[in-house]
Amino acid sequence: MTLSKSLSLAALGMSAAFLAVTSTLAVAASPAATTIATRHANFKKMGGAMKVLKDQVSSGTIDKPAAVAAAKTLAATGRAQVGLFPNGSGASSGVKTDALPAIWTNRAVFDGQMKAFIAQADKMVVAANTGNAAAVGAQFKAVGGTCAACHKQFRADN
Amino acid sequence: MPRSAASTTRIWDPTVRLFHWLLVALIAFSWWSGEQHDMERHRLSGYAILALLVFRVFWGFAGPRTARFTTFVRGPGAVMAYMRGLGRRTGHAADGHNPLGGWSVIAMLAVIGLMVAAGLFAVDVDGFESGPLADYVSFDQGRTAAELHETVFNGILALVALHVAAVVFYLVWKRQNLVRPMITGSRKSVDGETPAELRWSPVLAVVGIVIAVAVAWAVSTGFRF
Repeated sequence: MTLSKSLSLAALGMSAAFLAVTSTLAVAASPAATTIATRHANFKKMGGAMKVLKDQVSSGTIDKPAAVAAAKTLAATGRAQVGLFPNGSGASSGVKTDALPAIWTNRAVFDGQMKAFIAQADKMVVAANTGNAAAVGAQFKAVGGTCAACHKQFRADN
Repeated sequence: MPRSAASTTRIWDPTVRLFHWLLVALIAFSWWSGEQHDMERHRLSGYAILALLVFRVFWGFAGPRTARFTTFVRGPGAVMAYMRGLGRRTGHAADGHNPLGGWSVIAMLAVIGLMVAAGLFAVDVDGFESGPLADYVSFDQGRTAAELHETVFNGILALVALHVAAVVFYLVWKRQNLVRPMITGSRKSVDGETPAELRWSPVLAVVGIVIAVAVAWAVSTGFRF
């Protein structure tokens, strides 16, 4: 009775220790995973901001504070993304990502695309501040163009 | 008395045939434009498919007998009886859809309807391109709709493959050409058959087309008139 009880306690303790070690390993083994998760969440945030602008453009009525906030999200998050593509954070890390190896083999072009996006996002803030539907619509297209251009080259299409 | 050249039976009215071949062309074009990321044309193609679906459902109640759901949607007994005769190397002179094919039509309409519905709410990864109803949902919901839109395409491919396989089976095994009637509207009569008239109203057809175009147009604007 006591023997089996202490045995099962020991087994429980060991499995807890095992769990602790493996989970620590899982975190420690992949700083890439954190980076990838962060930039993925950021891109989703940018997608959401794009949709706010898109919905306003298609409805034809600009809600200025919301449009400005969305544009600022694009500009700020775009700047944060630049630092979230360190070497080794591609699919080779074993973490699921749509980031293509070309990002790291063609780094100068990738960085240029990022810069182009940020420049257009800054202009988006200016356009949103006018509150003018035509201006917002035109600049929205320009921003979207830089998204598409970069995705075409550096994001897996699936 | 030799059978005259005119011994054919009309089974498909012109609108059903036009529906069929336009749907074939538009599904092919939708796939192609989607692959090309030509979203402007992809959306237009989707609206056209929506109009076709609306018309076909309308015609399922207002069309000639072979187009009506009440005629071609049959119970399990009829389907089983039909399937028992599948192995026989004789043609099957169905008055329109055979009992199993009727269910294939329902499956096609349902899956293509789901495809269109998902596309209407879909948002692309950039939040740049979207279906006309995407502003009624969040970015994440729109992304889910886009993923569903991609998944359901496999269902369409599976049904198309099954449909083509059935047509080839009829051609090779039963020596019966099902494609020609879908072009000409008529199949060969079987001995002793008295061809029944395929009555349909051009006025109702026009009404159906007007409803279909109006619905597709309203949806395409996102109900912003």
